[in-house]
Amino acid sequence: MPYHEFECSKCIPERKKHAVIKGPGEDLTHALPLGYLNTIPGSISERGCAYCGAKHVIGTPMKDVIHLSHGPTGCTYDTWQTKRYISDNDNFQLKYTFASDVKEKHIVFGAEKVLKQNIIEAFKAFPDMKRMTIYQTCATALIGDDVDAIAEEVMEEMPEVDIFVCNSPGFAGPSQSGGHHKINIAWIKKKVGTVEPKITSDYVINYVGEYNIQGDQEVMLDYFNRMGIQVLSTFTGNGSYDELRAMHRAHLNVLECARSAEYICNELKVKYGIPRLDIDGFGFEPLSTSLRKIGLFFGIEERAQAIIDEETARWKPELDWYKERLKGKRVCLWPGGSKLWHWANVLHEEMGVDIVSVYTKFGHQGDMEKGIARCEVGALAFDDPNELEGLEAIDMLKPDIIFTGKRPGEVAKKVRVPYLNAHAYHNGPYKGYEGWVRFARDIYNAIYSPIHQLSHLDISKDEIPTGAGFQTATMISDVNLSEEVLSSSTLRQYTGKYDSVSDLRKKTYPEFKKKERSE
Amino acid sequence: MSCEIKQKGRVGTINPIFTCQPAGAQYVSIGVKDCIGIVHGGQGCVMFVRLLISQHLKESFEIASSSLHEDGAVFGALNRVEEAVDVLLMRYPHVKIIPIITTCSTEVIGDDVDGVVIKLNEGLLKEKYAGREVHLIPIHTPSFVGSMVSGYDVAVRDFVRYFAKKDKTSEKINLITGWVNPGDVTALKHLLSEMQIEANVLFEIESFDSPLMPDGNSVSFGNTTIDDLTATGSALGTIALNRYEGGKAAEFLQKEFDIPAVIGPTPIGIRNTDTFLRNLKKMTGKPIPESLVRERGIALDALTDLTHLFFADKKVAIYGNPDLVIGLAEFCLDLEMKPVLLLLGDDNLSYPNDSRIQALKEKVDFDMEIITNADFWELENRIKNEGLELDLILGHSKGRFVAIDNNIPMVRVGFPTYDRAGLYRHPVVGYAGAIWLAEEMANTLFTDMEHKHNKEWILNVW
Amino acid sequence: MENLHEKIALLEDYIMKKCLWQFHSRAWDRKDQNENILRKATQILCGDAVELETPADRCYWVDALSLTEAFQERYEWLAAMSKEEIKQLMQGLKERIDFVTITGSLNAELTDPRY
Repeated sequence: MPYHEFECSKCIPERKKHAVIKGPGEDLTHALPLGYLNTIPGSISERGCAYCGAKHVIGTPMKDVIHLSHGPTGCTYDTWQTKRYISDNDNFQLKYTFASDVKEKHIVFGAEKVLKQNIIEAFKAFPDMKRMTIYQTCATALIGDDVDAIAEEVMEEMPEVDIFVCNSPGFAGPSQSGGHHKINIAWIKKKVGTVEPKITSDYVINYVGEYNIQGDQEVMLDYFNRMGIQVLSTFTGNGSYDELRAMHRAHLNVLECARSAEYICNELKVKYGIPRLDIDGFGFEPLSTSLRKIGLFFGIEERAQAIIDEETARWKPELDWYKERLKGKRVCLWPGGSKLWHWANVLHEEMGVDIVSVYTKFGHQGDMEKGIARCEVGALAFDDPNELEGLEAIDMLKPDIIFTGKRPGEVAKKVRVPYLNAHAYHNGPYKGYEGWVRFARDIYNAIYSPIHQLSHLDISKDEIPTGAGFQTATMISDVNLSEEVLSSSTLRQYTGKYDSVSDLRKKTYPEFKKKERSE
Repeated sequence: MSCEIKQKGRVGTINPIFTCQPAGAQYVSIGVKDCIGIVHGGQGCVMFVRLLISQHLKESFEIASSSLHEDGAVFGALNRVEEAVDVLLMRYPHVKIIPIITTCSTEVIGDDVDGVVIKLNEGLLKEKYAGREVHLIPIHTPSFVGSMVSGYDVAVRDFVRYFAKKDKTSEKINLITGWVNPGDVTALKHLLSEMQIEANVLFEIESFDSPLMPDGNSVSFGNTTIDDLTATGSALGTIALNRYEGGKAAEFLQKEFDIPAVIGPTPIGIRNTDTFLRNLKKMTGKPIPESLVRERGIALDALTDLTHLFFADKKVAIYGNPDLVIGLAEFCLDLEMKPVLLLLGDDNLSYPNDSRIQALKEKVDFDMEIITNADFWELENRIKNEGLELDLILGHSKGRFVAIDNNIPMVRVGFPTYDRAGLYRHPVVGYAGAIWLAEEMANTLFTDMEHKHNKEWILNVW
Repeated sequence: MENLHEKIALLEDYIMKKCLWQFHSRAWDRKDQNENILRKATQILCGDAVELETPADRCYWVDALSLTEAFQERYEWLAAMSKEEIKQLMQGLKERIDFVTITGSLNAELTDPRY
């Protein structure tokens, strides 16, 4: 039987169809975990809400915007400074968050008036900011405030500002994914097509489903710039509000996180005929293939190839140093949504680790299809994990490392399994060639941490080793390596800087002449 | 030369200092043994609060959600509370206490949580869990009222109110710590033990500074037990260190069981710690031992090295939980500093009547502002646009960019302090807390002098 | 490696592990993707002309070309196959991918009428 029943969840039988073990000779048509269903109350699921999916995941990475949540301050406070989506405008969106501070009297008498005052106050406090997003919350949705009407009113009174409203209260869906959907659809309906961009290249893309975690977007932007591609907008990491209003003029939508942003690509395809190309920005081979595809689309594949060759030559020896030392390590790949499929196969291929389990907190069945397809036989895949199932899986699978969120990472720590932050990364960015090496470096450092080794010693019972005042990671990792690997003159450890992103902001790029068009 | 108390003038919040009531109730719930709370509302109300607390403590712990979805928001979601209680009890056999913590959504839709508790007590618990000790405690914490501070206060009262029973008056006192760190609990227990006083420490979160053990099975949880909570009703007296975080429970015990209550002062700094010890002595009749005279002396010795040479006239802004802010301000004054701006992040109408605030109002000899319902913009705007000059900021991590972007040294204190290592381990209360705070402030100022080359050579001969 | 079935399994394995285009979120999108990309891939492998008129065509084509390059690099036996054999192989592959991703798929969202 391919479905996997957790001991701890036998008393909630509806959980049974949320987990499978990929069996030999079996494919996706034999078993697929259920997904995106209502959460079982009290199961201590790791899911968030639809408000955070809209505001926190997708809305807020937009950098030149006042992000205002209409509700009590808690929603705003709780989703503020808990992610690492940076921007090249000094992180305005990380530093500033706005709440309409709805109080009891507003719940009773309506909060539209206070919302309007809020909007005006916020623009006044930040006179250079002319764009705003407003997010409904549970409380203001339930009292029925017409946020759109207030936004319209303000825009009429202040013609220089533009406001986007997203009605995605926390309860609107089984998880944060409900909010991803709502903000995608709201953005294309309300904002796309309202600005005409300046086209500066023959090759114009939207880069979609990319949130600039620790600089991922800027790494990819560097490649696109080197290819002479105009990135009209990024949805939404390091993205600009007005650029995103002009998404309709791109020639191609390049999509990374299909989980959170495929909706807008699909709608752009239907409405404007812009094709959707799904790519992987993680890992040497998938990234190279992706860049080459984008190059081919525009007939500039040689520009892509130049980048692939240069970057591979620069970074591959470093990746391979880690691969030699990570082979066979057991990984629980337990992210939120898209990374289970972005990472599953390429981690195995390029770092030699075995993905023994994948889970998704808010993914749909489609994410499970992709994720399971990319795993090897024997992997345990489960949907909407909860605390006890996670612990049971760790006990069963004995992973060497877990990639998950911060708080579940604390659980892993206590059972002495190192963790890396799958959402915000440890020392990212992880996209791009260098980024992938940084990821390998982080995995290596976690697994071979000398302190981690000490956590397995019980000084009251075990023989305490003497004679060594220290250990280094290589003293642990290199014990069983072949002479050939040890004496390799090409392989080397990561040589990049702590901050690999800031320098990119100062780079200049060759000008590619735009073709003359006779129209 | 005046001290002004005023509400923030704007209606909105730019960078909030506090989160909402359910977070406070959740922080209380993790201090209780065999207890997993159910937050009745959207999943974000739990997921983010767990993240926040785990960022602060660098630990995990359990809190459940009723997972309110669209249908529940329309038709009512009490069925989800019933299911959550059942699922939790089935899967966590050790659980005895389940506080049901409401949020804005479930208060707005008017879910009768008290009613469902009666229903569960009569039905599910009798039928399916007969013989198992289970306590369901409704806690009403709508997010649009008060803040995390009042949520904490309400939850402490509700736990105490539920369990407290009058028995033969014991020798023990109740010590309600308020929203503190594991390091504070350690420091408080140390003072009690030096005085040979037995106390019910509510809530006992010392164990959240928990180890990584070779058998890999250490789980973090609070240590306040049902027996402890029950015994609060027969205590000799109650000391609530923080008026706004536990004061309600102390008042309840006084009213209901005639247990004498002393509320405050927060034992931050030498003077307030002295008062705390005096209150302990008065309540129990136990003398203050020589060992504490010595500890106090060590603290005074450390502070004397710092006050007039480094701290005098330094202008400080302080934000965070009200009792903490007031306590820090008082300590700063004793250290010859000038706390020129205090920011309290909610609209509690009783702040202006607080005797400590009244005293500040009457006695400070420099210009001081106390802003209630404050947000971080009240601080940042004064610095950026109104010429406020500061030497130091005291507050929690959410305000870090005010300090970073304006080049003002900052000591992290309060909740949360996720951007500094291990602060939950250090006390701010007691003589030990006074030492830690003063030295942390001094070292922070020293580092800043060196970064800015601002008379950094002065330390050559200290 | 004579068996057509085994060959198809290898090609399927590559697509499942390396590609994303077969997993769009709705049945009609998957049908469209499978049909166009695998048709163009067949045309490329057979040396037939490939339509590149519209942006959509180009987008299918880049996925198709990328796929065929990988196939040719990994599976030397492809080079020895005749055009007819390739067509048969790719037809079988298409049927298999359609089955795994559409007709046999357990993904309940495939028929959701809205994105």
